[in-house]
Amino acid sequence: MTGSLSRVGAWRLQRRATSSQWARVIFTVIAVLLGLLVAGVVIQLTGHPAVVMARRAVQVTFGTSRGIEEAAVLATPLLLTGLGVALGLRMGLWNVGVEGQLFMGAWAATGVGLFVRGPEPLLLTMMFVAAALAGALWVLIPALARAQWNISEILTTLLLNFVAIYWVTYFTMGPWRDTVGAVLTATFKVPYTLPRLVGPLTIGILIAIFIAILLSFALRHTRWGYEISIIGGNRRAAEFAGMPVTRHILTTLLLSGGVAGIAGAIEIAGTMHRLSSTISNGYGYLGIVVCALGNASPVPMIVIAYLLASLLNAGIVLQTQGLSVNAMLAVNGLILIFAAVGEMASQYQIVRKEPEEISPVPSSHQEFPAASEGKARLRHGVDNPAPGEDRVPTDE
Amino acid sequence: MFRSQRPPDGPIVVQMKNVWKRFPGVVANRGVDLELRAGEVHALLGENGAGKTTLMNILAGLYRLDYGEIRLEGRGVSFRGPADAIEAGIGMVHQHFRLVDKLTVSENIHLGWKETPWRFSKALLTRRTRTIFGELGLNVDCDARIWQLSTGEQQRVEIARVLTRGARVLILDEPTSVLTPIEARELFRTIRSLADGGRTVVLITHKLDEVVDVSDRVSILRAGKRVATKPTVDCDQRLLAQLMVGEDVLLEQRRQTRTPGAIILELDEAEAEDDRGQVALKHITLCIREGEIVGVAGVAGNGQSELAEVLTGLRPIRRGIIRVHGQDLAGRSPIAFVRAGVGHIPEDRIGRGLVEGASVIDNAILREYRDPPISRGFRLDSQAAFQFTQKLVDEAGVRLPNLRLPVNHLSGGNQQRLLAKREIRVGSHLLVAVHPTRGLDIGATDEVRRSLIQHRGTGGAVLLISEDLDEVLSLSDRVVVMYAGQIVGEFTSSNADREEVGLLMGGSKAEGKAAI
Amino acid sequence: MEALATTVIGSAIGAGAAIVFAAMGELLAEHTGVMNIGLEGVMGMGAVIGIIAVNGYHTNAYVALLAAIVVGLILGVIYSTATVLIRANQVLCGLGLSFLGTGLSRVMGSSFAGSPASDRFMPVKIPLLGDIPIIGPALFNQNILVYAAYLILPPLITYVLYRTRHGLSIRAVGENPAAADACGIAVQRLRFLYTSLGSGFGAAGGAYLTLAYTPAWTESVVAGRGWIAIALVIFGDWKPLFVILGAVLFGGVTSLGFVSQARGWPIRSSWLAMFPYLATILLMLLPRLFRPRTRQQKLSGAPAALGKGYYREEG
Repeated sequence: MTGSLSRVGAWRLQRRATSSQWARVIFTVIAVLLGLLVAGVVIQLTGHPAVVMARRAVQVTFGTSRGIEEAAVLATPLLLTGLGVALGLRMGLWNVGVEGQLFMGAWAATGVGLFVRGPEPLLLTMMFVAAALAGALWVLIPALARAQWNISEILTTLLLNFVAIYWVTYFTMGPWRDTVGAVLTATFKVPYTLPRLVGPLTIGILIAIFIAILLSFALRHTRWGYEISIIGGNRRAAEFAGMPVTRHILTTLLLSGGVAGIAGAIEIAGTMHRLSSTISNGYGYLGIVVCALGNASPVPMIVIAYLLASLLNAGIVLQTQGLSVNAMLAVNGLILIFAAVGEMASQYQIVRKEPEEISPVPSSHQEFPAASEGKARLRHGVDNPAPGEDRVPTDE
Repeated sequence: MFRSQRPPDGPIVVQMKNVWKRFPGVVANRGVDLELRAGEVHALLGENGAGKTTLMNILAGLYRLDYGEIRLEGRGVSFRGPADAIEAGIGMVHQHFRLVDKLTVSENIHLGWKETPWRFSKALLTRRTRTIFGELGLNVDCDARIWQLSTGEQQRVEIARVLTRGARVLILDEPTSVLTPIEARELFRTIRSLADGGRTVVLITHKLDEVVDVSDRVSILRAGKRVATKPTVDCDQRLLAQLMVGEDVLLEQRRQTRTPGAIILELDEAEAEDDRGQVALKHITLCIREGEIVGVAGVAGNGQSELAEVLTGLRPIRRGIIRVHGQDLAGRSPIAFVRAGVGHIPEDRIGRGLVEGASVIDNAILREYRDPPISRGFRLDSQAAFQFTQKLVDEAGVRLPNLRLPVNHLSGGNQQRLLAKREIRVGSHLLVAVHPTRGLDIGATDEVRRSLIQHRGTGGAVLLISEDLDEVLSLSDRVVVMYAGQIVGEFTSSNADREEVGLLMGGSKAEGKAAI
Repeated sequence: MEALATTVIGSAIGAGAAIVFAAMGELLAEHTGVMNIGLEGVMGMGAVIGIIAVNGYHTNAYVALLAAIVVGLILGVIYSTATVLIRANQVLCGLGLSFLGTGLSRVMGSSFAGSPASDRFMPVKIPLLGDIPIIGPALFNQNILVYAAYLILPPLITYVLYRTRHGLSIRAVGENPAAADACGIAVQRLRFLYTSLGSGFGAAGGAYLTLAYTPAWTESVVAGRGWIAIALVIFGDWKPLFVILGAVLFGGVTSLGFVSQARGWPIRSSWLAMFPYLATILLMLLPRLFRPRTRQQKLSGAPAALGKGYYREEG
């Protein structure tokens, strides 16, 4: 759709003819900064010394190795859940149930880890497989409902988030509860751990990055990736081309759930080692933000996930000074709104009004593009077109 | 003839002066002047893209002009939106009706109307609506929902709606494109009586015979400029065509005759249902041979869409036989049809044939991406896709510096050139072309038609479905007429009689050459 | 046994009332074509404003309700500016609003957690009707917000939508904004108005939770009711009376949970907590299962232009 928006003096807004990647990126950055700014102002107004806190937070998260490592640990579930959302979004589907799929993945991994015995590498693999399956199963019903009956997957996946939390709560307070040791209400400790890299960081981050790169490749260089993007672009055209639309909706959503489930496995095997209802601090919801800011592109999302994790880490650091996880959620919500507005803004450009618009004096040499495309033609069938003369009677 | 006997000398009611309008990338109106008089039927003639609809959209308050002025009965006016124009007595009936499908006729009539009582019951609305239709002499079921009505009936509702708002100037945008010849005559009757009653009717059209039949004066637009305004009595079709297109134009058809070859497509007693589960095609028996163009004439909604879908694998047949080159394709997917060499230029170019936001490359390979060299196994070779696209773009004669641009940056004409080329490649045996020149400017229209004829020349077959009867008659070797899901008549290009075809399109049985 | 029935029904009505407010608001917005999935956050803010007003500023419950509605309207205006005026993506803005509202309300409410509202809406018995055995005390001994939710809002909205000129305009805007525009209807204005208004209703629903239902603030006071409200609009095919039905069904499932807890039935609280959400999903699936596929589009109550921003193709 075309159109200009308003006129101010000699300038006006006009919808871009070509979309600009740079404009998008710039507006996304502005959105994040604006969100942080508003948050900072609010924090300041409620009596906390915002600038001091900000400086300290940046110092800790980017300045210390511990800070960097912890941010990387946090980035893992953000990236993976973000990838889950991104997969769906490529097809125009919103899987916002990644939070619940993470929970179910964690649950399945815990189940395997607590009750199956064997060599560590095998068990870790089994935990991951179980987690992926659980995550995929958790999105199955919404996926079927969407593929078959076109029922909104936003609501169905989201409602299942709540169910997942209660499911996990049941197990952590009931059959799997660690009645002997733990401080939190949590399950027994799962005895298998992912190999450590440095500090608290395990190879989980590498797994996440690998999956991101794999998906990026698949989306760009495989038939599947091409079909996914066509279905997302225009479902009817995809049907026109004979693509298996329903099948792809299902498999992509299942894959999306599986990736989110793996995030849960990494949380268990890498970070927490016990299942509890706080296995996720809203990582799934933050994953949505990662996806939105990264425009559903896997590789840029790696960086964005890290940055957002640093922000989260800073928040945790600041928790000692009175802020909380909920504040993070609120700030992220604000950022999301700004990002959506920014996405819209990036589609417009400021254009100087053409002189003719201010006082149009028709120039005799201006060509109307359509007319100049076709040469003078006769209106008969085909085989022998002969150019006619250009005669334009212009009487009144 | 529906022309007025008097010369058009009523008082001037509308003046548009030096109107300029631009959209990103194109100037639609360049300094256009227009004068409309009371009691006249004023035709606005021009090719697609000449700026007629844009100009009238400005008059109807939907667009704002960039420069120029509008005067109503001498007073300068400025419309902030359609409401102002309606208030001023200007009403427009668009090509795509501005009716709300799910609401009833009564609700649509009363929509946004200040005479609608602020509260009402369903019965009250129905009563009022029946009265209105009675007064206008139009006949429609007032309680029906719009989606349940035929296009002709919907148009009547739309016209009634505009008239009830007190329109003194009624603008009709290509109204006959959805009507049978008989319904069109009804419409002309209505238009004439409206004009005789003192109103002004503007008829936007690209059909020369309509201008001659019903208008009192005609203004011709070309490339955004008004080229001439003449009393219709002073014009014949040839002059109008000249003015419209800008050069000397021959209206006769010339085409080399060919002897058709082997049978490519066989349909035998084919039957299919539409989306609502009702029978859309019945007893369809049709053969198409190599080297021939078979045209399908008919008013939209008589099964043509379903026929095209059946022939390209988008709709299964419930009964009967469908064979391409001897291969039975009943119930097969679009991919099978592609493999059998059947191409499809869909009627909904943007909605079905192209993916707007995707690049030119992605669109170009849409039909053949499964085959090497573009795909090997599960891998998609971007380089091969690029080269494939470059070749296609060159063959289609489209100049494009960057193939990765989204396809919606191309003009409609270029999109269709690309689409046509893509499908001609696929449809080495049969090309199903549905409304292939709809909405295109003259250059693109001509090229698409040439490609069809060229395809036929190289031994392919074409099934041409078009709402433009002239196009069908001039391009086809054989013409079949569809009505109510059946083939009701078949002609060869030599014995195709426009009147007779028109009758069959409207559902009458052919009774020789009947005069109207 | 009668007492049990009364308790269950009464509790169901009460539990459903919050949803009714939010759903009615969402229904209005969606009839103009705008989907506000930030309702969850709006309800949270409504709830927290309600409790802060009565417990922090010691106002009475009515003023608190009003304050909550005003905040809801403000959030609605922000959301409308982004989605209707600027035409930013509705899903993203809605999610953002839900995060913002949920997070912010929890931050604001942390110091008020757990303490009951110092002024609340008490049950008011309707004479005569309240004496009917079993259903009397259940239906007609509720607080006035419940009466407003069930007895005033739905009939009022149904009347406006289907029997007034204004309502006709509203419906047209959501179905075919181009047609409405061509009829001279102010599309953007109506969308802006009803989206903001809908948000105000949502906040009222949230305030109901802290001022009448619980009546106190906890982090999980809203517990997904905003989402459920949106789901029930779909279940109810965008018709107010059916949405009420869904709300009561949801309320029923919730109240069964409470009742069984109180009675010591052998089901874990976690399982019971799941039921309302599972029930809602089921409610979303049911209508589709019974409607033949081919007729779905035209017979569905879904406004055809839902979720899409409107451009006049202006120049």
